[in-house]
Amino acid sequence: MSPKTICLTSGKGGVGKTSLTVNLACALSRQGVRVLVVDGDLGLANADVLLGLTVTHTIRHLLEDDRDPMETLIFPEPQLAVLPASSGVPDIVNLGPDDQERLSRILRTLAAGFDLTLIDTAAGIGPSVLWFGALADQLILVVNPDPTSLTDAYALIKVLAQEYQRREFHLLLNAVRSDDEAFQTFDTLAQVATRFLRVEVLYLGSVPQDPAVTRSVREQTPFVQRFPRSKAALAVAALAARLSQDRALAL
Amino acid sequence: MVFSEDAPPVCPLGTEACPVLAAYLRLQEECRRLLALSQTDGLTGLYNRGYLMDALSREMERTRRTGLATGLLMIDLDLFKEINDTFGHQVGDAALVWISRFLQQNVRQLDIPCRYGGEEFAIILPGTRLSQAVRLARRLHRALQEAKPRIQGHTLRLTASFGVDAYDLRERLTPAELLQRADAHLLEAKARGRNLVWHWQLLSDQASPEVSPEERTGLLTPKNLRKKISGSK
Repeated sequence: MSPKTICLTSGKGGVGKTSLTVNLACALSRQGVRVLVVDGDLGLANADVLLGLTVTHTIRHLLEDDRDPMETLIFPEPQLAVLPASSGVPDIVNLGPDDQERLSRILRTLAAGFDLTLIDTAAGIGPSVLWFGALADQLILVVNPDPTSLTDAYALIKVLAQEYQRREFHLLLNAVRSDDEAFQTFDTLAQVATRFLRVEVLYLGSVPQDPAVTRSVREQTPFVQRFPRSKAALAVAALAARLSQDRALAL
Repeated sequence: MVFSEDAPPVCPLGTEACPVLAAYLRLQEECRRLLALSQTDGLTGLYNRGYLMDALSREMERTRRTGLATGLLMIDLDLFKEINDTFGHQVGDAALVWISRFLQQNVRQLDIPCRYGGEEFAIILPGTRLSQAVRLARRLHRALQEAKPRIQGHTLRLTASFGVDAYDLRERLTPAELLQRADAHLLEAKARGRNLVWHWQLLSDQASPEVSPEERTGLLTPKNLRKKISGSK
């Protein structure tokens, strides 16, 4: 597996993007993949919260003083690292050109030490989301069956296709009640995107609606650890297995 | 005999029950009937393709004289062959009659709905700009999606693809060229997955990052309909 950077984003907030990123990272690391999670929600970070981590240094410190980026990483598990962002610090939300350049250099250096880097972006289609989206090798859109999730994800695909010439998008359906619902939601988005934007939307997988997800968020423990036999955990583990083995996905 | 536009013809000799006048009136009625027949589609009662071309050149001439644009919709029923193949041609014909009534009832008084051929229809929109024509097409598109006609015991879901264009004084265009252009938009609508309104301005709309009404409709279409479309490919 050569180092790859994947950006997980969604358009709409609250669809379970951060939770999926963190759990996917945990599942991957348990399968022997060295994973780095970058909290790309620079203003309202919370990847660390879901992992129950105590953060002392964040991306903001990396940009402000010239410290060693490796020192900023937190390792909840030997194979899993987290690069935390700041919470409630508005000045870093919209990065200036110099900071952008430095951050992308730092991320490239860090990513080289891992098999896979997962970037968890903020919600919306703000500048930082588009910036991370343009930086990554692959894009995963986390979508749930709500109509608003669909339209927001579509709006994001449209901007990334038009302004950043992205042509390929992987869809990860979250909180679905059945496989059928997942396929239908995917079909809708894929058809409209192909029809109007001429981009390729690929089906990555789905994670079922599961009370274990909400409970694990409250307990600040990934559900793949806390409830490994839950439907959601099994789905994420299966997805991680496919990602780590299936080179056809080009991930 | 004295001929006049308004008054009925009378025998100049004042003959009671004049046989020549009677023959004349019969012929006149026969001419009217034949004229109507030559302009009408036998199955649906809409205007036929011959009348479409006459009316289109007349309306485009009116545009040149008055400056008011002429809109044109080309409409094709989606996957109509499946209705024939699944339910038989009687149901297919009845569906064509139903859609013709639907079009007549959902356009404005002066619009001219025609059957172009097969399951393809054209509507001439006198005095209508492109933006208004697009609005009408979207209204028809939506109304058709929501209608669930019950035809010979089968509840059908009919959808259609729409190509929209308009002629105004800014261009030189023959009726055949206008028709061809609207038809090209219709083909584009079908190539993009059917059940869609298409016109050339959409190409520039696609360049704006805003989600257009067509895209929104596609994303929010009821699920059962979508399933039918994707399942029948």
